[in-house]
This record gives sequence, structure tokens and C-alpha cells, in this order.
Amino acid sequence: MQHQDLSLPSIEPAGDTAELAALREALAASQAQVRALAAQQEAMAYGISHDLRSPLRTIDAYSSMLERDAGAALDDSGRERLGRIRAAAARMASLLEALLDYSRVERVELASAPVDLGLFADLALAELQEVDAAKRVTATIAPGLVAVGDERMLRLLMTHLVRNAWNFSGEQVKLDVSGRQEDGMIHVSVRDAGSGFDPRYAQRIFEPFQRAHLAEQGAGHGLGLAIAARIAERHGGRLHAESTPGSGSVFHVELPAAT
Amino acid sequence: MSDKEILLVEDNPDDVELTRIAFDEAKVANRLVVVRDGAEALDYLFARGVHAGRDPEDLPSIVLLDLNLPRVDGREVLQAIRENPRTRSLPVVVLTTSTEPFDLESAYALGVNSYIQKPVDFERFVWAVKQVGLYWLVLNQPRDP
Repeated sequence: MQHQDLSLPSIEPAGDTAELAALREALAASQAQVRALAAQQEAMAYGISHDLRSPLRTIDAYSSMLERDAGAALDDSGRERLGRIRAAAARMASLLEALLDYSRVERVELASAPVDLGLFADLALAELQEVDAAKRVTATIAPGLVAVGDERMLRLLMTHLVRNAWNFSGEQVKLDVSGRQEDGMIHVSVRDAGSGFDPRYAQRIFEPFQRAHLAEQGAGHGLGLAIAARIAERHGGRLHAESTPGSGSVFHVELPAAT
Repeated sequence: MSDKEILLVEDNPDDVELTRIAFDEAKVANRLVVVRDGAEALDYLFARGVHAGRDPEDLPSIVLLDLNLPRVDGREVLQAIRENPRTRSLPVVVLTTSTEPFDLESAYALGVNSYIQKPVDFERFVWAVKQVGLYWLVLNQPRDP
């Protein structure tokens, strides 16, 4: 891939209007390049969303029909292999969704409205419980955790934080979402009693595709926390985490508060 | 239950076949008419071009429309349907893989009745198609043309 030079010309005191005009022209050209790159990124994200999901659906559908209609004729290892095909298709679908979200977080125009973060934590938990009813859940979600921002994006942020707590919690999920307001910001803490992570990775876990765990320990596609952190940053806030390995993690998110 | 046909506008042959299977599994018996691009969809609905021999009054019970289509795209098809008094009230459901806010907004701005993202998981896809069939062919009261 060829990288385009996006650097702006160095700004020096403009001696005359001709020099100033040249600088303006160079700036306009750079801005046009940035816009073209953004449009290119958008087209790529659109391609991911539309064209890559379709073959995955075909893979999942035919393995599902094969499992159902010819499953009895297969031995255990045949059925297991089919199961692996379907699990891989589901993982890839989830990865595509996350890649799309990650690129969308950068380019979306943010709306601004009061958003009840506790409500979205609750909804995310309910969705997870629906899919995996075997886990035992104890959750405390404080009322009145209202931030100001883009509802769709903040919902995504809370969903990823709750999902993260869920994935690293084993059969017993203990979730505590609380918060306080300070200097115009709301500080929300999402605390779990899961496996935690090595504090040395406290920064790295927010970078895309950086994981502190293996898949069998609960790790997902490695984009969830990166998405959550970028959403917080785009709102002028931040996300950070602390953990004691073996006894859980706390994710702290700071966002503009509702006045 | 409406016994009129369902018009599926879809260019991807795999998706055509899966939609057909999903309707079979959902026990939706209406004939599925498939057109592969937006231009043919409009020819079919307005009984012209390759479909000139059709009765133009014989409209499908529902149009399932993909957005990204060759030649005439789904948005243009939707716009043409809504602009013509004869097809203005025809139920159109967008069935697509995209959840881009831009696609949602343009579809609703052009007067789509419903917008559904095709799930990757086959059981959920069958479930979604079944819900579409139940709602639009059984529950919904269409306006007389």
C-alpha cells in the first residue's frame, strides 16, 4: 500500500502575500487529501460490512443444514468438525462487526444528549444472560449515572465494558457499576470479580488486537476495549483500568456529566 | 393470508438460495419471484422491458429489497416505487447486510416500511425471514391498490 504524505508545509512567517497564497494552497491540497483518505476508509468499512458478511452467512447456513440433516450419518468427530466451522464463522462475524465499529467510532459525527449509562449496562447484561443463561449473576447498578454524549456510541462503550467483565468471570458473574460526579465529569466504575489481568498490561489492553489473555481464558477479538477507549476519548473523556489478578478488575470511565 | 407472490430483489445467488430455503423452513408458501438487479425489479413492477407481458395490476404482496444492486441500486428502486401512484403503498422491506447509519437513514427517508439486517447465523436468519412473512403476509392489512 502506498502511503500518501499528509504532512503540512512548515509554517514560516509569511513575507508577502504570494508566499501566504502558496501556503494556503498547500494547506487546501493537504485537506483535500485527508478528505479523500477518509472517504477511502469509509468505502472500505462499507465493503467489510456488506460484502464480507455474505459469504460467512453461506458458510454458516450450509454447515447448519448439514449438521441438522446429515448429522446422524456423521460420527462424533465429523459433528465436532462441523461445530468448529460454525464457531469460526460466528467468531469472524463478530470480528467484522467490531472492525466496523472501530472504524465507525473514528468517523461518526457525535450527537449530544443525556445518556443513562446504567440503563445500557443493564441492557448489555440482559443480552448476555439471554445467550448464556447458565452463568449465575449478581449485579448492582447505581441509578442516575447520566453522561452527555452520543447515545449509540455510549451504549457501545457500556456494552463492551460489561461484555469484558462477563467474559473473564467464569460461572459466577459479579458486577458492580457505580459512579460519582466531579468537575463537570461523571466517573463511572465497572467492577467485576473475575480473573483480572496482569497490571503490567493496564495500558496495552486498550490498544487494538492487544490481549492479556488466551482465547480459552475468555479473550475475544481484541477490539472491544479499544473501541470503548476511543469512544471515551472522542467524548473528551478517558478509560483506564486496574486489576488484582485472581480477584477482578475495575474499569474507570470518565465522560462529560449531565448538568 | 395473502397468497400473492413475494418479489425478492437480490444480486447474490447464495443469498437468493438461502432466502428461498428460509421461506421454505418458515412454511411461507407464497411464490418467490427473484430479480437480480434494480432495473429488472422496476421492469417487473411496472410490467415493461423483459416483463412487458405481465399484468401491471398484479403486484406482489411484498418487495424484499437489497440496497446495493447492479445497474439501478436499491434506493433508486425504492424511490421509483414511492413516486408511482400505483405502487406507492406497496410494502417494501429492506433486507441487507449493512447497518450503516447512512443506509438506514436514506432507506427511511425514501419511505421504506421496514429495515432488516440479515443475520450471519442461519437459525436467526430463518427466524427473521419467518417474522417478515408472518407480519407482512398474515398480520398486516394492505391498502387496496
